[in-house]
Amino acid sequence: MNVVFAVKQYVSKMIEDSGPGMKVLLMDKETTSIVSMVYTQSEILQKEVYLFERIDSSNRETMKHLKAICFLRPTKENVEYLIQELRRPKYSIYFVYFSNVICKSDVKSLAEADEQEVVAEVQEFYGDYIAVNPHVFSLNLLGCCQGRNWDAAQLSRTTQGLTALLLSLKKCPMIRYQLSSESAKRLAECVKQVITKEYELFDFRRTEVPPLLLILDRSDDAITPLLNQWTYQAMVHELLGINNNRIDLSRVPGISKDLREVVLSAENDEFYANNMYLNFAEIGSNIKNLMEDFQKKKPKEQQKLESIADMKAFVENYPQFKKMSGTVSKHVTVVGELSRLVSERNLLEVSEVEQELACQNDHSSALQNMRRLLQNPKVTEFDAARLVMLYALHYERHSSNSLPGLMMDLKNKGVSEKYRKLVSAVVEYGGKRVRGSDLFSPKDAVSITKQFLKGLKGVENVYTQHQPLLHETLDQLIKGKLKDNQYPYLGPSTLRDRPQDIIVFVIGGATYEEALTVYNLNRTNPGVRIVLGGTTVHNTKSFLEEVLASGFRGRSGESSHVTPRSSSRR
Amino acid sequence: MASSYPPPFDDPGEVREGFLCPLCLKDLQSFYQLQSHYEEEHSSEDRDVKGQLKSLVQKAKKAKKKLLKRESDDRADAGSQERYESFSYGGVDPYMWEPQELGAMRSHLSDFKKHRAARIDHYVVEVNKLIIRLEKLTSFDRANTESAKIRAIEKSVVPWVSDQDVPFCPDCGNKFSIRNRRHHCRLCGSIMCKKCMELVTLPLASKLTSASKEALASHTSPNSSPNSIQGSRRGSISSVSSVSSVLDEKDDDRIRCCRHCKGTLLKREQQIDEREFTPEIVKLYEKLRLCMEKIDQKAPEYIRTAESLNAGETTYSLEHANDLRIEIQKVYELIDALSKKILTLGLNEDPQPHPKTLQLQRMIRYSATLFVQEKLLGLMSLPTKDRYEELKEKRKQELERKLQMAALETQRKQEEKQKDMVSRSSAALNGEVPHLKKATVKNSEGWLPTSSVSRQREIADPLLQQIDNITSFIKQAKAANRIDEVRMLQENLRQLQDEYDQQQTEKAIELSKRQAEEEEMQREELQVLCEKEWEREQHKAMSQHLRTRSLDFREIKQHQHEVGKDNQNLIAHILDLDTTQIKSSPSSKTPSPNAAEQLASKEKTVFSIKTGEASQCDRDQNQTSLNPFEDEAATTLIDEDSTNPFAEDAAQVMSFPTKALYNDKKEYNPFENDEEDEETNGAAVSSPNPFKGDGDPFQKGRSVQNSGNPFDESSSTNPFEVDEEISGEEVIEEELLLQQIDNIKAYIFDAKHSGRMDEVEVLTENLKDLKRTLAKQKEKSNC
Repeated sequence: MNVVFAVKQYVSKMIEDSGPGMKVLLMDKETTSIVSMVYTQSEILQKEVYLFERIDSSNRETMKHLKAICFLRPTKENVEYLIQELRRPKYSIYFVYFSNVICKSDVKSLAEADEQEVVAEVQEFYGDYIAVNPHVFSLNLLGCCQGRNWDAAQLSRTTQGLTALLLSLKKCPMIRYQLSSESAKRLAECVKQVITKEYELFDFRRTEVPPLLLILDRSDDAITPLLNQWTYQAMVHELLGINNNRIDLSRVPGISKDLREVVLSAENDEFYANNMYLNFAEIGSNIKNLMEDFQKKKPKEQQKLESIADMKAFVENYPQFKKMSGTVSKHVTVVGELSRLVSERNLLEVSEVEQELACQNDHSSALQNMRRLLQNPKVTEFDAARLVMLYALHYERHSSNSLPGLMMDLKNKGVSEKYRKLVSAVVEYGGKRVRGSDLFSPKDAVSITKQFLKGLKGVENVYTQHQPLLHETLDQLIKGKLKDNQYPYLGPSTLRDRPQDIIVFVIGGATYEEALTVYNLNRTNPGVRIVLGGTTVHNTKSFLEEVLASGFRGRSGESSHVTPRSSSRR
Repeated sequence: MASSYPPPFDDPGEVREGFLCPLCLKDLQSFYQLQSHYEEEHSSEDRDVKGQLKSLVQKAKKAKKKLLKRESDDRADAGSQERYESFSYGGVDPYMWEPQELGAMRSHLSDFKKHRAARIDHYVVEVNKLIIRLEKLTSFDRANTESAKIRAIEKSVVPWVSDQDVPFCPDCGNKFSIRNRRHHCRLCGSIMCKKCMELVTLPLASKLTSASKEALASHTSPNSSPNSIQGSRRGSISSVSSVSSVLDEKDDDRIRCCRHCKGTLLKREQQIDEREFTPEIVKLYEKLRLCMEKIDQKAPEYIRTAESLNAGETTYSLEHANDLRIEIQKVYELIDALSKKILTLGLNEDPQPHPKTLQLQRMIRYSATLFVQEKLLGLMSLPTKDRYEELKEKRKQELERKLQMAALETQRKQEEKQKDMVSRSSAALNGEVPHLKKATVKNSEGWLPTSSVSRQREIADPLLQQIDNITSFIKQAKAANRIDEVRMLQENLRQLQDEYDQQQTEKAIELSKRQAEEEEMQREELQVLCEKEWEREQHKAMSQHLRTRSLDFREIKQHQHEVGKDNQNLIAHILDLDTTQIKSSPSSKTPSPNAAEQLASKEKTVFSIKTGEASQCDRDQNQTSLNPFEDEAATTLIDEDSTNPFAEDAAQVMSFPTKALYNDKKEYNPFENDEEDEETNGAAVSSPNPFKGDGDPFQKGRSVQNSGNPFDESSSTNPFEVDEEISGEEVIEEELLLQQIDNIKAYIFDAKHSGRMDEVEVLTENLKDLKRTLAKQKEKSNC
């Protein structure tokens, strides 16, 4: 069930099968990111792969002394590129791997293009998704839906990604989906269709309890992606943005040249692996320890190494030191930038109110706090807008809803129309009308008592009190209590036992907060393994883009409110 | 992280192997499945087998848990408690999910080949047809043949399409007329206009045809250039005439053909060129890989040799090791040189190579750098000749010491037997059960019961005898100057001793366990036996010891350390002297066993209270009381034992004033003293890694002491350090210096490569310093 390992195994196998000699890895845009998530350059260099080329690049030179390993998605364009490549081969021999099911006619046209007999292997290796963490995968798709319905191309890509995941993990699951979402049902049917069609491929050894695929829709929980995050991975994504493990730091003031873009990968970065799920305060102290360790190991540059012992110590520590210096400077920079942003944008205060809006039901106090924050000049328009979005989502039908007033405040604060429109767009996207489950008020007696107790005890950390809806859903699923009428099975058969291997897929994108939730569920539930996937992994910014891309433009604030247009000009 | 994954493709096979159903041999993926399968399929069958299976499954589960636990410990070294918590929760961190099989895959190769074969056949036939025709067209002397005749031959090769059938050029569509005349392709007979006509020159034609011939007759040398072939075939034509004929626009040495045929021929030509041409980079790269393979082979061998030599063993010869070292270093230099050459390939040429070629070269260089960095640093230095002699001497001493031990063993055994008799009789005199008597004695003193010990000695006897034999053989062989035999025998002896040592350790552990059990029993008995007042006193003393226990440990161990060092220094000084001299210098060594004894007795007091801890502590003691020369000291002590300071010591510590006990103790003491020493020594000697080959007594001694002492911080077992501390001789430093210079050079090279100029500076500075020191050293040694 480790998705990183699954993809890595595929790539290793490809390289191994090609035998010794200099190799070039020929990929397309998507497979490049797929491979780069699981292999570092130095790791892959050791396997004699020296060049990485895009199949669509015209700048490739003929190098007959290289073996080519082609890892491509089976798209029409790629097949066409490959046909051209085989007609005039640039490399001596080709090992062709498609990341998904390829149709017979494409195989035929490729075979006919291979007049020089350079192809030695044609296989399907189902590494057709981005493996983010061992238990998290993404498809890097933005704006997968139009309104409430799938975009046809995105649906087929999502189906391919999801079936590839199942194949790479060798799971032939039962499927449940969120009833309130039409797109969830549609995707479930598509996946089922592929499983039926390719039944030979999905013929795995039966396990005692069949695996389960649960398909959810982001619109059921629009709150989670709107919150500020305080665990390392989630926070970095929220404030700096993680793109295929890469972080763009070029906007950081006074950044040195080699830190413009850094890679955060738990596979090769021990510090990151150990800290990615810890909260900001803990990371601060860990960074301090790391620095101290580093200082100890740091060779005294000014002081000359006088004795042999000094020299020896230096030489022995040097490789470690070098490795460490990279890690230290990277994390110190990242954490430094995070804390700069936190204080610059007053995020602690903002986050506190966000959490209050998301987790508590005290309308008047929330409103009061919001008003106070909206007056604060340090709060950016982005943060102000998302506070109002949270308010709008939570108190959408509250009797004393004062959204118009808040919108006024936004306008007075000088928040651009784009963001103000987004408030209504978000409500349209994930408002009460759409939601199949109740995000805010607890349903059963148990959770009411729980919340009551929580209220008595006080919360341990005001900034991380929010639990995504996914937690409750999965918790019930693990306990076998998830309601069939809300999350029906596709097909007649149902699961009698509690599920063991669970794959959750969120249409419209998962978040790193949910990744953390799933991580914790994995750790706390013996015998249960959960993998979380999404069309993408969101932060607030990308989530708002997703809302826009899905065609929710929102009403322009002015028309519905009394405020005359002129007032905004002032 | 990467390392936490097992090597990718080994696992699935293993897993499958592990879960075969014992009854039907069906392959099941996991033990859960196996269990369920078993319960479904074979539940009515033999119950016994089922029980076995269940226990097996449980074992597997336990093993898995252990494995996970260990992994988690590995990962948790950064100090995050979460890793541990995850186990108390019972779930599993996704990072530690068990390894999985390779995901599903599907091959289209057979389909692909089927389609390709159909296509290729067609293509190959076409090309071959063209080549054959070309052959026919060029097989006669065109220059000296009349054009009419040429035309006739050309027409005979392929039927020409008749002019009437083709009013327009099929390629460009222009109408043929008197000015736009028809031309026939000599290879396929089709018609095209002049513009669309292509020409095949004779050199090209002969190249193509000869290449096909070569392909048929593979013995022809592949390197013979097309020109030479041409020369041999068409010797009569001079290059001048061919040039002139081009100017004449005659078809003397050109063959008209259509675009399609020409295209096919050119493709063919390209293929031929590629087949014959191996670029420079490939040759260099192949050499580079060969070097790397060589390193992969040689480096482990060298490391093994160097370790053995540094331990003073005689298994390998120093010269051989030095040769090996030089060889390996040369290969590294070769790798460096080769990769550098690859990097600069074609840089001076004009035009510059394609950027991709340059990139490839850079990448190869980079990976070679990584390789050198990773492997070169693992190479340790060798001892110099003098140093090696010292090491050998030490090793010899140690061996001899062991021999003496063995001799002593037999002697002692006999004495012990006698003692045993005596103790039995004394016990009988007291009118108590012998066992009980012994037990009390033992408790008061902390020594082992003699009977059990002597029994064990008897078991070990054949081994010792064998050792004796071999040592005598060695002596004989040495006398006869048969060096290889000596070497072989010594190796043999070493193995035997290892075996013996191991036995001793096992026994020691076993003994300590048994002792702990007995102690529990004895304590109760003691309480019955002893007076209450006396008991109270005892408790007081014990509690005191308990409180100060940790402190005691530390002090004693430190003390012991010093003693150990003293001894080492001593050895270094009197190395040149006869070994027996060392043994006869008891004054310097007596403190060491003394300390050990003290420690031992103190620990025993602890035992009698906390018997649960006993076995562990006992082992602890075995380790801590190690000193390479302890037994010698002990042997000397046996003779001068009448004062028996240890017994006094123990008595004081224990505050057992009972006279009867005291007497007994006195009787036992001398022999059990060295019994204990024997034990500890056995345990200590065999505790280092057997693969390393035991040898250097100093190093081993140190390492064991360290591992036994939780308070000691400097636990390095690096041979360098020991070298420095002990001898501090310049010769060795020189060796070290050279090694360091090597290393630093590697770093500089790396730093330069990755463009960290500041580091380069620092490193260069260091290098200079080192070189200066080296020069000084050489001066000194020359003086």
